[in-house]
Amino acid sequence: MFRKVLIANRGEIALRILRACRELGIATVAVHSTADAAAMHVRLADESVCIGPPSATDSYLNAIAILAAAEISGADAIHPGYGFLAENADFAQMVVEHGFTFIGPDPEHIRIMGDKIRAKQMAVELGLPVVPGTDGPVSGDDEAIAALARDIGFPLLIKAVAGGGGRGMTIVHGEEQLRESLRLARYEARMGFGDDRVYLERFLDHPRHIEVQVLADRHGNVVHLGERDCSLQRRHQKLVEEAPSPVLDSAAREAIGERVATAMRKFGYTNVGTVEFLWQDGEFFFIEMNTRLQVEHPVTEAITGVDLVREQIRAAAGEKLGFTQKDVRFEGHAIECRINAEDPRTMVPSPGKVQAFHAPGGPGVRMDSALYAGYTVPPFYDSLIGKLIVHDVDRAAAIRRLDRAIAECVIDGIPTGLPLLRALFAEDDIRASRFDTGWLGRFLERWQG
Amino acid sequence: MSKLEIDIDYIAQLAELLQRTGLTEIEIGQGEAKIRVAKQIQTVMEVSAPVHQHAPQLQAAAPAPAAEPAPVSDAAHPGVITSPMVGTAYLAGEPGSPPFVTVGQEVHEGATLLIIEAMKVMNSIRAPRSGRVTKIFIENAAPVEYGEPLMIIE
Repeated sequence: MFRKVLIANRGEIALRILRACRELGIATVAVHSTADAAAMHVRLADESVCIGPPSATDSYLNAIAILAAAEISGADAIHPGYGFLAENADFAQMVVEHGFTFIGPDPEHIRIMGDKIRAKQMAVELGLPVVPGTDGPVSGDDEAIAALARDIGFPLLIKAVAGGGGRGMTIVHGEEQLRESLRLARYEARMGFGDDRVYLERFLDHPRHIEVQVLADRHGNVVHLGERDCSLQRRHQKLVEEAPSPVLDSAAREAIGERVATAMRKFGYTNVGTVEFLWQDGEFFFIEMNTRLQVEHPVTEAITGVDLVREQIRAAAGEKLGFTQKDVRFEGHAIECRINAEDPRTMVPSPGKVQAFHAPGGPGVRMDSALYAGYTVPPFYDSLIGKLIVHDVDRAAAIRRLDRAIAECVIDGIPTGLPLLRALFAEDDIRASRFDTGWLGRFLERWQG
Repeated sequence: MSKLEIDIDYIAQLAELLQRTGLTEIEIGQGEAKIRVAKQIQTVMEVSAPVHQHAPQLQAAAPAPAAEPAPVSDAAHPGVITSPMVGTAYLAGEPGSPPFVTVGQEVHEGATLLIIEAMKVMNSIRAPRSGRVTKIFIENAAPVEYGEPLMIIE
């Protein structure tokens, strides 16, 4: 096991890792920018090293400074947390080349999954379901294209090869519209991009975001720890995550979990990872894989009792997984809310001084946060200032517990997302779990705050 | 308000008395006129001295403590040179050779003051201006943080 771990991150996740290290008897080194000299992760660490000025590019993203800090402090492993350098394959490679252990997967796995196109190809190779579509631009006569379209299924999207970012897409609801839509789409693509090549892809009009957590050691043992449902997002930023997903039954959970675990075994993947899918009407479609610990890992910890950070450190140190798939049990329901330092209506970040802070407590409540009264949230980094996680026997009970915990939570001095979170769980759609990835965006348009 | 006649000799006598008695302040009033003679003894430093005497023992027991921050007054000195990076500071070009600079030495702008090694790369830290080296905060081969005071050039 490691003697000393350098935590290359800040905020609540640096604290989360520090806690896991303490419990494993590992000394910790915090790194920080000049703006974070008084931050909680610095205050609680055994040692700290200032690595640069406030700008993340010069501090938390400064690979050389982090490696130099590891060297002068005599650390033997580096934990990247999430964000910053966590999915930077070059950094992971440098860490290894300098003789430290990177607490995460191999650089090569990070590299493959970090490239959108290679990741999708790999998903297909590993037997994971992807959004059905044509492999490349469509050509041939109308009947041949209609046959391709029937295989993909309706509704589908005609996408311009030269398009992107939401431009150059046409929705086709049925085969009868296909011919005319194709003619128009090609015409628009030629006029818009000077390239009339188009391809077809299934259109998911009400997907949920469901992701599968995996954990693997360096001895070929891979387990899945079930799924998380993270469908409440705005601008692709998750706000609420829960486990298990209210739309999967245990057979569906077992099927997708096994499929992901098998794929990861074939991939030779190690450490923790999350395979993200869109889910619609009983079908899964691979989006991407996150080759790191995720923000929402506590909901999985709550329902499985597995300490993911402890396990990932153990796995990185070469220890064997202490349990098998059949030992993994899912108990009750857990929900996590992300508390951001921002105006809940405008989403404008709200850095500033926290005058008072009280974390909710009691049974089944966990608050992961690096806040303290008198702390000033700096304007340089992510606005996530806390994660409130509740666990109870079932979803309805967990929502009641969450209501109670949100009411107990006090963060004075800066606007936070707490009022929005409170409003969300009063909504019938949320209580009845009738939402897709577009729901929160539509809600925010009508919410008065 | 009556005019205060300043008697320098009298004040000097009071100051002497202050020294002799070990008092920190003497104030004498005559009508509305007042003379106050005080000395600022560095009470804080003296009181905290025993704490400092214990500190090295604690540090010796602790595993590789991060470099002790320099006293605030020195760090805030306008001539202070701070470390632009994390690494290991070397005061000489190689073991056994004389240091690049010593206290009291005049240096020209651009002269090498020390080397900081970060990831096997040696980075020369050069004098940003000409002047005299009045203080060196670090020892040879000491780990330094970003922003840590290295030396003062006046």
